[in-house]
Amino acid sequence: MSPTRIPVRLRVNGRPAEGLAEPRTSLVDFLRDELDLTGTHVGCEHGVCGLCTVRVDGVAVRGCLMLAVQADGAEILTVEGLASPDGKLHPLQEAFAEEHGLQCGFCTPGFLMALHELIDDEPNPSEEQIRDVLGGQLCRCTGYAGILRAVQSAFAKLGASPSTESGA
Amino acid sequence: MKPAPFEYEAPSSVEEALRLLADPAIETSLLAGGQSLVPALNMRLARPERLVDLGRIEGLDAIRDENGALCIGAMATKRSIERSALVAQKQPLLHEATGHIAHPQIRNRGTLGGSMAHADPAAEYPAVAVALDAEFRVIGPSGERRIAAADFFVTYLTTALAEDEILLEVTFPERPAGEGVGFAEICRRHGDFAMAGAAATARLEAGRYQDARIVLFGVDATPVRALSQEERLRGEVPSEALHAEVAAAIGAGLEEPPGDQHASPEFRRQLARTVSKRALEAAVARAAKA
Amino acid sequence: MAIEIPKNLDGLPTSQRRFVGRRVRRREDPALLTGRTEFLDDIKLPRMLHCAVLRSPFPRARIESLDVTAAEALPGVEAVVTGEDARRWSHPAASSPDGWGGHCLAGDEVRLVGEPVAAVAAQSRAAAEDALEAIEIEYEPLDPIVDPFEAMKPESPLVDEAKGTNKMLDRVFTWGDVDAAFDAAPHVFRESFRWNRVGANPTETFGAICEWDPMSLELTVRGSIQSASHFGLGRAAVFGLPSNKVNVIATPHGGSFGGRGGTRCTDVACLLSRKAEGRPVKWIEDRMEYLTAGGSQAWDRHYEVELAVDADAKVTGLRVKLVDDLGANGEPYGAICAAKPLAAFTGPYAIPVAAYDLKLVATNKLPSSPYRGMGPPPHFFVLEQMMDIAARSLAIDPAEFRRKNFIPKDAFPYTIPSGNEYDSGDYEQVLDRALELADYAGLRRQQAEARAAGRLFGVGVASAIEPGVFDWNAYAIVGLPGTGVPEGATVNIDILGMISVRVGFAMEGQGQYTLVSQLAADYFGCELEAVRVVPMDTQSAPPSFGPGGSRLGVAITGAVLGACEKIRGKMTRVVAGLMQTEPENIVFRDGKFGIPGVEGASMSVAEVAGTMLARSDLLPPDIDPRPEATHVWTAAGRTEPDAQGRAKSYLTAAQSVHVVAVEIDPETGQTEILRYAVVDDCGTRLNPVVVQGQLEGSVAQGIGAALYEEYVYDDDAQPLTTTYMDYLIPTVNEIPELLRDEVVTPSPFTPLGAKGCGEGAIHTTPAAVLCAINDALAPLGARAREVPATPNRVWNWIQEAGDGNQTPQGEGSNG
Ligand SMILES: Cc1cc2nc3c(=O)[nH]c(=O)nc-3n(C[C@H](O)[C@H](O)[C@H](O)COP(=O)(O)OP(=O)(O)OC[C@H]3O[C@@H](n4cnc5c(N)ncnc54)[C@H](O)[C@@H]3O)c2cc1C
Ligand code: FES
Ligand code: FES
Repeated sequence: MSPTRIPVRLRVNGRPAEGLAEPRTSLVDFLRDELDLTGTHVGCEHGVCGLCTVRVDGVAVRGCLMLAVQADGAEILTVEGLASPDGKLHPLQEAFAEEHGLQCGFCTPGFLMALHELIDDEPNPSEEQIRDVLGGQLCRCTGYAGILRAVQSAFAKLGASPSTESGA
Repeated sequence: MKPAPFEYEAPSSVEEALRLLADPAIETSLLAGGQSLVPALNMRLARPERLVDLGRIEGLDAIRDENGALCIGAMATKRSIERSALVAQKQPLLHEATGHIAHPQIRNRGTLGGSMAHADPAAEYPAVAVALDAEFRVIGPSGERRIAAADFFVTYLTTALAEDEILLEVTFPERPAGEGVGFAEICRRHGDFAMAGAAATARLEAGRYQDARIVLFGVDATPVRALSQEERLRGEVPSEALHAEVAAAIGAGLEEPPGDQHASPEFRRQLARTVSKRALEAAVARAAKA
Repeated sequence: MAIEIPKNLDGLPTSQRRFVGRRVRRREDPALLTGRTEFLDDIKLPRMLHCAVLRSPFPRARIESLDVTAAEALPGVEAVVTGEDARRWSHPAASSPDGWGGHCLAGDEVRLVGEPVAAVAAQSRAAAEDALEAIEIEYEPLDPIVDPFEAMKPESPLVDEAKGTNKMLDRVFTWGDVDAAFDAAPHVFRESFRWNRVGANPTETFGAICEWDPMSLELTVRGSIQSASHFGLGRAAVFGLPSNKVNVIATPHGGSFGGRGGTRCTDVACLLSRKAEGRPVKWIEDRMEYLTAGGSQAWDRHYEVELAVDADAKVTGLRVKLVDDLGANGEPYGAICAAKPLAAFTGPYAIPVAAYDLKLVATNKLPSSPYRGMGPPPHFFVLEQMMDIAARSLAIDPAEFRRKNFIPKDAFPYTIPSGNEYDSGDYEQVLDRALELADYAGLRRQQAEARAAGRLFGVGVASAIEPGVFDWNAYAIVGLPGTGVPEGATVNIDILGMISVRVGFAMEGQGQYTLVSQLAADYFGCELEAVRVVPMDTQSAPPSFGPGGSRLGVAITGAVLGACEKIRGKMTRVVAGLMQTEPENIVFRDGKFGIPGVEGASMSVAEVAGTMLARSDLLPPDIDPRPEATHVWTAAGRTEPDAQGRAKSYLTAAQSVHVVAVEIDPETGQTEILRYAVVDDCGTRLNPVVVQGQLEGSVAQGIGAALYEEYVYDDDAQPLTTTYMDYLIPTVNEIPELLRDEVVTPSPFTPLGAKGCGEGAIHTTPAAVLCAINDALAPLGARAREVPATPNRVWNWIQEAGDGNQTPQGEGSNG
């Protein structure tokens, strides 16, 4: 029962990357174990917590519910690819730091990647859209208050401000 | 929490997929968005020997208008459905229901076909399909066939699909002019599978019900159509009292609602009343008051 | 020389305080935000193996046979261990109460679903899980012990035959003449309550990497461990190793909240490493393991409570009977959660006498673990409902009833009947602010309108105490005797004046490394960036307990400032020598040593440090030339418990008032929180941003406990909530926006006047939400006596009230 490992070639954070994966290996395990990109975390392995969220060909997906072999040829963005190479934080990261949007920080990479997609898709999202995305990510530390502040501030910084229609 | 080993194939055509699926020597599962199957793999609840990934087959995710009917490929993601102006315009009920399924991060990969084939009793799409008289285009070794939504959902996690068949497309017939639609569900948390939900359509003529449809989910092993109450509404003037009566009858008429740690059978019966009423009221409110 | 640690912010040697007490951005964040912080599962060691654990599917069964030969033969499998190995190589774990611990792998009987039975170390986790399937095991299922009341009956089968009883503890504590108080009271209120199991659920589960060195017989454990030193001592005892041969390296935690148990599987990984000739073995608990068998579950409680109230509406006595279902053993120390209420038994109220009838019962469920708040949150849920029951019955506004019974602000320090002393507070001021912030009067008007329209609108006002800075004596009644919980820091200044602070705990989310930097930077007048915080392993660290019991902020402040003071003392002597004067003439302020009034007589910290390190020939002969000092802080004045368990235990008593408005949908039983206002007083806020974050997170956990979270077992003790689809952690959409304000009465007993505040709002939130729900349901005569108040339960209560099935509310006849 020596499972075959299949080559997987993809681009991660703008650079080509490749490794071997058993068919059963999830994308998040592949990124962490094979490509040593351990910034993406694992919290439940059944799709609920959102810790493993990465962007695959632009869309935010659960890294624990996608097989590495399914991502062959894809363009992946992980938390390691958000800050610029000189270490300057992405405005979203900056906003999380400024608004105390993280405590233990274990959930944070997942939140950042889910929100990163929203920023690209919706320059001016409604509160409802923000909550729809955030609702797919669990955080046990912050009670989400700091995260909501961070999102407001990030969108403000990025030149638009989310509409304040109440979704609460 | 790692899956048992399996092989993986990613065919580029339906024919190839069918051939792989037909091999009796190896237990094979189709993989669509993976949002239901992969959790089951991770927990080793599902243990296929081989996965056949439909994700590399071109054209299975199209959303198109065919003589007024809306045809959606099985591999169309919920996200693409949610964002499709065509869906919003032609099938507002499907569009509205989509927003209730989990969160964007799940909808980005979860497919229409996967939800239909998985047939979770608490899922939104099967109920919507029944409410809208959708038709399932299915292909197997001996060719294509079409299955009406009413016949598709057999029981808990079981459909009319044979093991060697693939769901290709779901067709939603054009809606009659003036129809209003309504959707309601009660979940523990936003985005969760519903404890109970309902999809409804309604058409009025001269202030009276011309026809109405109510389909519940989460309250039995498959979507439940409230046929006798639909019948009962015809020709009536919509009113709060009427809707309450109809809803009460729907609740009372449920055979044996399931019970779990979130909702007892009795409570589900109650929720069925509430969602029936809410969905129906929403549908009437939107129906053209002709 | 006694070390004087400043009692307030003005006591710091700086004229321009830049960091302590200000909103400081956390220094931990950049690494966390970029995914660079190294958590346990990110670590790869050479030759490392991965462990998977075979667990019992039965709550109670005899193991008839166990055969691992097929698993051992699989490719990639390096070691398999079973209960036999555990008995050969290890001892039963310590527990609370004492004697309720076992071996890390089952012997011939399993006592809970998820109990480890065997384990595999293999090349990958997946391969290890494959091998588990090759283990052949036969069980003979036995009837499980599920209900704690049944378990207490003499005819009940026993969870652990050797114990002879399922009662792990059965004691009554009486503080004052309680019977007399109840006999004399014109009003006595009685009620029963149920608090169902909830728990911590940090986003990072537990895990460990264990290395057993077969040559030196030393054990190294890396893990996301809350109290590394304590954990190390436990492992030494389990493996019969000298304590200096167990080294624990705590990795950063992805949250903790008390729920980071996992000693059994850590010990399993140690055994596997030993069997695999010392190769490191990594065990990562997956979420289902966590939910089923980890440090996940706490507080499974059945309460009966009585409150005596006099003619003036003063509460004159409190009786609490608690049956706490602790599960199958005492290893995770969940019992301390039943002991901690002694630290704040009567809450914020001046209740003169009280009694506590405490039964800890064993069943075939997961052993109970600590969780944020450690036990008082259910206690306050109960106490606050009783306060409302009394107020409603006496037709007094619940806020005013509380005001009337508050400990008055001039009564501090105040000793409560259960023996602890509260340091300071101004409860009325906190109440007034909260009522104003929430617009209490407006809410009551809204409620009147809603009620007139037949809607279920409720307002809850609740107050609770957060005991802060724990001491072991608080838990003495469940068998953890002793006093003194140390926290140490070593401050070192290098030749260029750069500061390192060595500590004994890993970061966990409360910004303690930032706090350490704030303290050292303000003390020595440097930038935050000049301070480096270095976590140490247990064999190198200063004495440290680490986070827990709302203590670390206060304790590490004492440790760092104490060490800074020691360096100042040393440097003062050096400077006096160099300036040829007496040390008394040297003043240290704003990072400079000088002689007041003497122009030019000034040396910076860096100059002094440089001189000390480079020119020992210039130093006083008896001085240690390193600009380094260690200080270990412990809370002063803690006392041994008396025969009734009374002790000065927790050093501080933070207080809060929450005002909550809810509306209930009678059709669906759903509770919507319409307004949530919090005012709290936790003394000096060392980093207000962090204190706010702790509060916000704690409210969310409290709302989870009040409305969503529950570990459910079926009648056969099978756990039903084993995934995140079933155990419902609130998302952003379940948490309301908070209105916040604060009152500050510094603690007279602590460094800088700070009080413990890490556990915070969860003490009050479930109480407040349930008060509001009860208020909403009151017109129907329906009563909420159980958490979580799920839609199904709320709907049931409404139905029962409608059916007339609920007995009339609470006041019992007296005498
Ligand atoms: C956290 C979370 C929350 C969720 N919440 C909801 C919710 O609220 N409501 C809801 O409805 N769903 C919910 N889901 C499920 C989600 O919608 C799934 O996407 C969906 O049920 C399955 O679609 P899929 O494309 O992911 O299918 P997969 O998981 O890939 O497949 C599911 C099953 O369908 C079969 N299958 C897939 N495609 C075909 C085909 N074309 N022909 C034949 N058989 C096929 C597969 O073999 C498999 O047995 C949730 C999932 C998660 C992880
Ligand atoms: S680890 Fe993927 S969603 Fe939790
Ligand atoms: S910051 Fe700890 S889980 Fe979100």
